[in-house]
Amino acid sequence: MLPFRDTFFMIQNKWIFYLISGLVVAFVVLVFFYYVATWKKALSGKTNTNKRPNIRSLFIAIKNVFLGIRIFKDDILAGIMHFLIFWGFFALLIGTILLSIHEHIVKFLMGNIYIVFSVIMEIAGLFLISGTVIAIFRRYILKVKRLQSYTEDLLIPLFLILIVSSGFLLEALRIAQNPQRWEKWSFVGWYLKELFGPGVSEGAYPYIWWFHAILSLSFLLFIPLTKLAHTILAPTSIYLQNLPKEDGDKAQMEEEDSASEGSDKEAQLPQRPFLTLSHLIFLDACMRCGRCVEVCPSTLAGEDYAPRDFVQGLRAWVWQSFSSHGDPRLFTERSPDKMQRIWNCTTCRACLEVCPVYGPTFELVMGERTLAIEEGTSVPDLLNQTLERLYKYENPWMSSKKEKLGWIEEGSSIGFITKSFKPEFCYFVGCTTSVDPRARGIAKAFSNILRSSGLEFGIFGEKEPCCGDMAKRVGELGLFEEKKMSCSDLFQSYGVKNVVTSSPHCYFNFKNEYPQGMFNVFHYTQLIHKLIKERNLTIKKRLDFTVTYHDPCYLGRHSRIFNEPREIIRSIPGIKLIEMTHNRENSLCCGGGGGRMWQGNELNGTERMSERRAKEAKETGADVVLTACPLCLIMMEDAIKTLGYEKNLKVMDINELLKMAIDEEKR
Amino acid sequence: MDEILILAETKETQIEKSTHELIQAGRELKSALGGILSCLLLGEGMDGAVKDLEQYPLDRIYLLENPLLKDFSPDLWVSSLEQAVRNLKPKVFIMAHSPTGREVGPRLSARLKSTLTTDCIGLRLDPEDRRIVRVKPIYGGNAVAVLKGKGNPELITLRKNVYSPAAPEGTKTEIIKLQLALSDQVVKVKALRTIFREQVELDKAEVIISGGRGIGAKEDFQLLERLAELINQRGIKALVGCSRPVVDKGWLSSDHQVGLTGTMVAPGLYVAVGISGAIQHLVGMVRSKKIVAINTDPNCNMFKVADYGVIEDYKEILHHLISKLEGLS
Amino acid sequence: MKELKIIVCAKQIPDPEAPFSAVTVDSKKKEVKVDAPEVISPYDENALEAALRIKESSKAFITVLSVGSSLSDTVLRKAIAAGADQLVMVEDDSFGRLDSYSTAYVLSKAISMLGEYDLILTGRQAGDWDWGQVGLILGEILGLPTINMAAGITVRDGHVEVSRLVPAGLELVEAKMPALVTVSNEVGELRYVSRSKILGMLKKRIPIKKVSKGDLNLEPEFLNTMELLELLPPSDMRRDCVIVEGATGKEKAERLFEIIKQIL
Repeated sequence: MLPFRDTFFMIQNKWIFYLISGLVVAFVVLVFFYYVATWKKALSGKTNTNKRPNIRSLFIAIKNVFLGIRIFKDDILAGIMHFLIFWGFFALLIGTILLSIHEHIVKFLMGNIYIVFSVIMEIAGLFLISGTVIAIFRRYILKVKRLQSYTEDLLIPLFLILIVSSGFLLEALRIAQNPQRWEKWSFVGWYLKELFGPGVSEGAYPYIWWFHAILSLSFLLFIPLTKLAHTILAPTSIYLQNLPKEDGDKAQMEEEDSASEGSDKEAQLPQRPFLTLSHLIFLDACMRCGRCVEVCPSTLAGEDYAPRDFVQGLRAWVWQSFSSHGDPRLFTERSPDKMQRIWNCTTCRACLEVCPVYGPTFELVMGERTLAIEEGTSVPDLLNQTLERLYKYENPWMSSKKEKLGWIEEGSSIGFITKSFKPEFCYFVGCTTSVDPRARGIAKAFSNILRSSGLEFGIFGEKEPCCGDMAKRVGELGLFEEKKMSCSDLFQSYGVKNVVTSSPHCYFNFKNEYPQGMFNVFHYTQLIHKLIKERNLTIKKRLDFTVTYHDPCYLGRHSRIFNEPREIIRSIPGIKLIEMTHNRENSLCCGGGGGRMWQGNELNGTERMSERRAKEAKETGADVVLTACPLCLIMMEDAIKTLGYEKNLKVMDINELLKMAIDEEKR
Repeated sequence: MDEILILAETKETQIEKSTHELIQAGRELKSALGGILSCLLLGEGMDGAVKDLEQYPLDRIYLLENPLLKDFSPDLWVSSLEQAVRNLKPKVFIMAHSPTGREVGPRLSARLKSTLTTDCIGLRLDPEDRRIVRVKPIYGGNAVAVLKGKGNPELITLRKNVYSPAAPEGTKTEIIKLQLALSDQVVKVKALRTIFREQVELDKAEVIISGGRGIGAKEDFQLLERLAELINQRGIKALVGCSRPVVDKGWLSSDHQVGLTGTMVAPGLYVAVGISGAIQHLVGMVRSKKIVAINTDPNCNMFKVADYGVIEDYKEILHHLISKLEGLS
Repeated sequence: MKELKIIVCAKQIPDPEAPFSAVTVDSKKKEVKVDAPEVISPYDENALEAALRIKESSKAFITVLSVGSSLSDTVLRKAIAAGADQLVMVEDDSFGRLDSYSTAYVLSKAISMLGEYDLILTGRQAGDWDWGQVGLILGEILGLPTINMAAGITVRDGHVEVSRLVPAGLELVEAKMPALVTVSNEVGELRYVSRSKILGMLKKRIPIKKVSKGDLNLEPEFLNTMELLELLPPSDMRRDCVIVEGATGKEKAERLFEIIKQIL
């Protein structure tokens, strides 16, 4: 006899089961439609530009769904937990569907296929149970700090355990009545069957069957009503967030335009014109896992901000403002208060780097800032003054354009770009590097290095506008557009083809926020890397230092330039490069980006971000901590002085170190 | 005979230092102009103040005592001053550029239709037309205007801490009690209550430890406070001041602010910590006898006006200074 | 509720934030040249902010009134973008260097022309010449209750209640409107006015009323320019600074300690 099983063994009125199933599925679909309707309202009729299907982001979504890579990252236990639950649940779901197909469409679960099926189902059940046990263990015994617990966080695992146990029980009862040899492949049921006599089994079986069936179906009901919604929304979010940036940005800009025109008439609906569909899906896909909280430099410094809380606040606001029948989630944050904290974020992108659903929280913060800037009254005083200064004097630091030349040393011949002098490279010094006494060291060293390489370059000097990065990050989009226009016009009128920047912020801004293809842009690390590789720079001196390298957020995480700086450092003989605990894409922000530099100290928590980073640098035992960004340089220098490290630890820009190495030895 | 009249100010019936400076300015003017130098004193229970003024080289003291004038009510003061000046017809009427002078001066000028020059740092006589030449800094101290005014009397408010206070001198002083018809009918603005705040009188300090934009955190002002406290313990009056950004951030109240819109000071020692030296600040402290600047930026303006400069992070310097001073006591 | 009519007097001046390197004194022409953009005088911005805050809680119509020569609507437009309802520019070449009384006189005439009002707000002093007179004189000319140095303003039942800065602290005073209040920076900085708000006004028709000298029936007797004899660069404040040297911060601090001990 071929191994098989009777799907509806001892069960009458199986139509009731199908009827309930149908109703459940209808309910789930209906609630998801409710989600969609609310999102649509939040987008206030903005046409959602059709994004073409993208294989790459589909691949990323599939990879994340089936392997749970981001969940394994830095937390193996969480990764195992999710892996077990996902595969357990997924296999059992598929198994159940297969059983229906076998019953009604084509009989195929027979013989060896049935045995394999049975074994997989057993393993899936065990996966699911052990996954949920780990989940409960992590949350309630280990008390993992980043986790924030609502009722659903206990309810769901208990629910799952109950479903799986009732399933195994059912199996045992079935096998107990007619223990065929092949049933030993259903090993859990096979073991458990010993507990029950045939009489007991026969009486209890139908009751347990219905119990298990209804429990399982009602579990499905909870999918759209709890954090389980992520089973549908997380893959969607991952897919959407990984679509090519360009499309997304363009779409967003168009939407903003149309929204601002219509805003006069529809002033009664609260507006968040920066929100896109992918943002809204992200807000609902967020599982509150708190990975962002763990890496956020603001949270780490003890400030009253956490990306997750901001996201949950904004989510609460969306449902409060746009839903017709309230929030479908049974257990969640209801207060939008936490979305008020919009000035802490340094836009360092660390939260996005770890987010399992690829949520760009910092973008949402920047969006909120645009509203605060338009409204005007809640803009902090220092930021207010800084933006005024940026508008009037092309830099956020000083009420003067002339100061921009202050870094040029007497006697050094630096060419100014004119109609008759159009060098190969325009060195875009940048505001901070031009005017800050410490950061000026970058410009001094870099211009010297360029000179010794023989590369033809020039600067715009007093004419150099601000690139607008700071305006963009704090949400002053009008000012940003003006600065973008000034820079683009200037580059165009002097035929600038290649731009090299001191600051990763200018670099990122030119590269990502300016029209593509107008000019090539390089960060200095890229250019120097190229010059060294092509042997245009000779390193003459051995430097016996141990150094560590702090990845600037806008160079590393935002621009993915991790290797060039390290290779430049390693190319200096004698230098030993050691890494800090947080390096490359896990680098810890110095606190200078995203306009935080001009926020005063009111937001400070128990510790300053830069000091945290400086402590980490000190722990490596390095003599020098290197950076490649003027803001990092200023922040780190300040932190090291405050902590009293300056005797043992120096802060230098890569340029400054390299200049030491290429200078002729003084004899 | 030409009369130079100054307006005396008191705090809790004590004559203010700024009044002694006005006496000095009036005295210098009198030596060129001739005539008499007199002083107008308003208030209630001014016996002590009169005794104080009598020691100074004043020819006359006009005393206007009235319960209505006990507290500074601008409407009553302007009305009294208008009447007094119309009666006395002085050639020059000089007030301090104090909150009182700043308030009554312009209103008096409107009533008497006579040009007031505010915040003067110098006065002299033009011998040709015997009018007063007034010297006033403008554009935050970036330029100096030399002006004359129309109308009588010539009205001036004088910046504090520019003239040194007059020295007491045994002169015969005539005391004249003024009788004016005063009525609270003129009061259009009703004072409801005053919320007293302890005010730091920076202009009376011998040492000022002042912090600016370069101070990284509010808590770091504790270092400045501690240093001032240790100097105070040695019997030298030391106070903590600041530049405007610190007040704007709300770290210190505005009475700590040194500079054009704060207090003009001239202490024996001014220690500028993390102050880059915006002109508006410099004009307020540049008359200090000795200036020490602590700043990390060697190019900052403060080093240009300082006697001693330390290019270093302020925290380290202050920590060491504090432990040195603590070691002494 | 009746709509409050608030008039804010605003002066256009070169940015007082500009560093002294940007300021040059031309003694011959008796002119100060400032290489900096023109702005609304900071205390007048504070006055505007005070008006806008009143408008947030009561119905109000805010008129910004400016008197001067070569006024620029690109500068003053900021006031409208910030939330004022009307801009009145009284412009004449001869208004460049009016003395305080005359400026107040022109303002008073313009205000009478505008009709009824409840509250006039001015900055405590201008950021260029620092006279600190126009507001108070204007109050006298119009015969209004006048309150100087406001740190906070509230309006109710036809009265204005002001907490004003006095040497002892804050004095709470009250006056029946119409009244005039001069405003200090304690009131709060003018809210941020985004570039898109200012640029957006280029598309709309801005409510600007331009008034010329002739419209105001000014009596020449009260129009006087200041009698400026000389304009000088500031006296040199420089001292020879001795830099306290030392290998470490500690060494520098020790030397500084000795220096301070000598001074005291």
